[in-house]
Amino acid sequence: MTDKEIIEQLKKIVGEKNVQADKIGLTSYGYDATLLSGVGLAAVFPLSTEHVVKLVKLANEAGFSLIPRGAGTNLSGGTIPDERSVTVNFNRMKKILDIDTDNFVAVVEPGLVNFDLQAELEKEGFYYPPDPASYKATTLGGNLGECSGGPRCFKYGVTRDYILGLEVVLPNGKVIQTGGRNFNSEPEYDLTRIIVGSEGTLALITKIFLRILPLPAAKKTMLAIYNRVEDASQTVSDIVAAGIVPTTLEMMDNLLINTAEDATGAGLPRDAGALLIIEIDGHPEDMDEQVETIAGICKKARVREFKIARTAAEVDQLWLARRVVIGSVARRRPSYSLQDITVPRSMFPNMVSGILQIAKERNLEVGILAHAGDGNMHPLVLFDQRIEEEVERVHLAEKDICTLALELGGTMSGEHGIGLLKKKYITLEFSPVAMDCFAKIKNSFDPRHLLNPGKIMNLQS
Amino acid sequence: MSNEIVNRIKGLVGEDHVVDSPAGMVRYLKGQGQPLAVVMPGSTVEVAEIVKLANKENLKVAVGGLSVESRGLDGGLAMVMSGMNQVLEIDHANLTATVQPGLSHAEFSRILAEQNLVFPPEPYAPKTGSVGGCFALGGADSQAFQYMPVRTYLLGYEMVLPNGDILEVGNKCIKNVSGYDMIHFAVGSRGTLGIFTRLLVKLLPPPAVKMALVADFASLPKACQAIATLIKRRIFPTRLNLLNPTLAARIDPGAKGNLVMVDLTGFKNSTELLAEEMAGIFHLAGSGEVRIVKEAEAYAKLWQEWLDLRGELNTTWAERVLDFNVGPMKLAAVLQALADITGDLAAYPGLVVEGLLGRVRLLLPAAGEKEEMAVKVNTLAMSFGGNVSGNFGSKLVCRAYNDAEMWEGIESLLGQIRRQFDPKGILAPGVSL
Ligand SMILES: Cc1cc2nc3c(=O)[nH]c(=O)nc-3n(C[C@H](O)[C@H](O)[C@H](O)COP(=O)(O)OP(=O)(O)OC[C@H]3O[C@@H](n4cnc5c(N)ncnc54)[C@H](O)[C@@H]3O)c2cc1C
Ligand SMILES: Cc1cc2nc3c(=O)[nH]c(=O)nc-3n(C[C@H](O)[C@H](O)[C@H](O)COP(=O)(O)OP(=O)(O)OC[C@H]3O[C@@H](n4cnc5c(N)ncnc54)[C@H](O)[C@@H]3O)c2cc1C
Repeated sequence: MTDKEIIEQLKKIVGEKNVQADKIGLTSYGYDATLLSGVGLAAVFPLSTEHVVKLVKLANEAGFSLIPRGAGTNLSGGTIPDERSVTVNFNRMKKILDIDTDNFVAVVEPGLVNFDLQAELEKEGFYYPPDPASYKATTLGGNLGECSGGPRCFKYGVTRDYILGLEVVLPNGKVIQTGGRNFNSEPEYDLTRIIVGSEGTLALITKIFLRILPLPAAKKTMLAIYNRVEDASQTVSDIVAAGIVPTTLEMMDNLLINTAEDATGAGLPRDAGALLIIEIDGHPEDMDEQVETIAGICKKARVREFKIARTAAEVDQLWLARRVVIGSVARRRPSYSLQDITVPRSMFPNMVSGILQIAKERNLEVGILAHAGDGNMHPLVLFDQRIEEEVERVHLAEKDICTLALELGGTMSGEHGIGLLKKKYITLEFSPVAMDCFAKIKNSFDPRHLLNPGKIMNLQS
Repeated sequence: MSNEIVNRIKGLVGEDHVVDSPAGMVRYLKGQGQPLAVVMPGSTVEVAEIVKLANKENLKVAVGGLSVESRGLDGGLAMVMSGMNQVLEIDHANLTATVQPGLSHAEFSRILAEQNLVFPPEPYAPKTGSVGGCFALGGADSQAFQYMPVRTYLLGYEMVLPNGDILEVGNKCIKNVSGYDMIHFAVGSRGTLGIFTRLLVKLLPPPAVKMALVADFASLPKACQAIATLIKRRIFPTRLNLLNPTLAARIDPGAKGNLVMVDLTGFKNSTELLAEEMAGIFHLAGSGEVRIVKEAEAYAKLWQEWLDLRGELNTTWAERVLDFNVGPMKLAAVLQALADITGDLAAYPGLVVEGLLGRVRLLLPAAGEKEEMAVKVNTLAMSFGGNVSGNFGSKLVCRAYNDAEMWEGIESLLGQIRRQFDPKGILAPGVSL
């Protein structure tokens, strides 16, 4: 089939207005939140599972590949097309099919934006725990693709923990349902878990059964400021050891405290080593006891300022620095690269000092933002995209950071995925045997490598 | 030929770790299969060597903690993991443990309790189950509303694959999305993808206080109503289980009627308040007697009895158990409709409900009825948005929708995965997907 014929067929399947084939229009679907980009053959917007099935069948016949895409905010190059691929945009399949609060289940289409779901749930006093910071824009299909996390997931877990079941279209065009509306419906192998986090390389998700929970009855937000990162880190360990599981333990280092202060003038001490936002939730009767324990732990760790929010406005105030922080670095340097590694909690101080060492060696400015409870860190490497030599050093620092995380018993991706960006390092983390297992999984689902080819790893066809 | 193989295996693991006399093998086997030998490896390398040999000679291999399912294992090898039963590390700072797979699940819990730590999954079979088996079986137990399914506790493992390769994945990080999620995919694979030789598991600190509530209900609908009231009021205890009178009598010989068993763990203030509130709700809902169990020994005994009962359902009675799920708020209506099929559920051989999960297990009068009952019960469960559990349930759902194509899609995918990993089909011959 010629490209022109393929495009004609695509239009037949989803309708003229749900196909974008002009090269300029296509650039809108050729990028994500990395510096990478590409231009595909076409972009289509299916409206139903039937559309997706027909697209897959056409792809099989005509020999092009399919790139599933949600909002395109991933940080791994996970939706970058090539010239032989058609981007499948799910953002017109965004219906909420069912919200059943009595039974803790919602059923949605994959293009639904996380925020839109939360807003509907909130009306009924419910929520869906996984909350990537990008939740206002990102789709649930994309959240599943990367197995996204968020600030709340120290207590509540990541995306995979809230997916009860899926409807997917397999690369052979068959529609299957995995799991169901409860924990006990997997057909033997846990197909749901292998698809969640597979970055669009195993199956096209067309329907999602999510676990939803009632909003907690009470919440407390605290802010602790320290002279040294080690003290913040000690606080985190002691809180966990005391049997308290905060929903959130967000940390910012000295550089980011300063950029946030530049942006807000809120009065954060510029010489502080680290700032920690601590949030707990649960029964109202239990809040005071836990706040007291946490205050004691912070004091023991030589906290220099400790604040407890008394009102909603104060909660907002405590979150202010964290909310602006990513944008705030733009005042320093025009670009940043948001890294994503995780280390065991006990290795947290070592990782922080290691990152600062790498920054020095590579002559780069790096700020550290972390979900400290689970050891997931986002070093923000600052640079100027126009300076080629500097970009080169950013790449070297990225590799150093991944390598160090692995040396400390961690992983090179805590929540953003591998995609194209970290593919070149994946064999640092995985043995040839593990890589071979990945290939077996891929070949079981997608022997012709039709879905999102070249992402996560290179495979021989 | 077979003698020669047994000798080679003895050469690999040592004479003392191989049993090949039929009389000697009996205690290690479940079912009627006749393997060539029972072998008890002491290390990962030994497991790998045995599997390589089995691969070359086309021998089937099945694994177990203390005993092995021998179905389909004629002429093959039964691998008993109890020689690999050590706790290799307990890491308090990261709340993890590294253990060998043959460690008894119950023993593991005991060791952790001494160190003031908890491994929440309920043992599948408290007397015999191993930690390796716990993850090989996976699933969700009656605490899953709060503590999540079994897979949540696996952070990594070492596994000998069907070709003898050694796979290592995972680390002490809860957040990890690197590569395909082989870590959780292995959970529930029942020994078909490989043999666990080391497990890295997540632990929790113990809750500040624990107490139980036990309430008798003469009427099953009223007991269900009480459960519904708790959910409506957003009271979610750790466990909320219901037994019909036949099974209740096993746990509490003095039980009058149906028994609701509540496990309540958490911080002191809320736990005590909730216990009082729940007791009030149960009284109002028509419970004859509500007992609050605070004393540690009585509390432990009560839940051990629950675990033992659960173990019976999973083992001795397994062929007679029909397991289905519906939404928790639909329990009352489902059980009412179910009685039209089963007759009075109070007199039935067994009914177990895990209230927060909407999970129902029926102990049928006889194993022979299972298939026929499953079809009826699945139809009923589907009309309430639920289904019979697991693979069997998937098949029934597809059948009910008359969707042969979907079932074929699932079955061929499962088969494809299994073949990719185990092309010769040597592992876990007794497990059909
Ligand atoms: C400022 C910023 C903050 C962020 N904060 C966080 C954070 O806190 N936590 C976090 O985890 N991530 C974060 N991210 C990363 C990103 O937002 C997440 O990965 C998000 O889940 C991606 O969703 P999306 O809709 O943009 O998906 P996309 O980027 O479009 O796609 C993501 C992946 O999913 C696949 N996919 C999409 N839809 C489907 C489908 N229907 N079927 C199969 N595969 C599909 C794609 O092929 C791709 O591999 C952040 C990103 C930015 C830019
Ligand atoms: C239809 C049916 C009928 C049954 N009938 C009976 C019965 O009559 N009597 C009875 O006792 N049980 C029965 N069972 C239960 C079954 O045999 C359980 O596997 C077993 O009882 C669980 O306890 P265990 O002592 O075998 O645990 P374990 O020895 O811990 O094993 C549990 C499971 O995990 C697997 N496994 C164990 N270790 C590993 C490892 N290291 N790597 C990979 N996989 C591993 C085993 O192969 C087994 O499938 C039945 C189950 C079903 C589904």
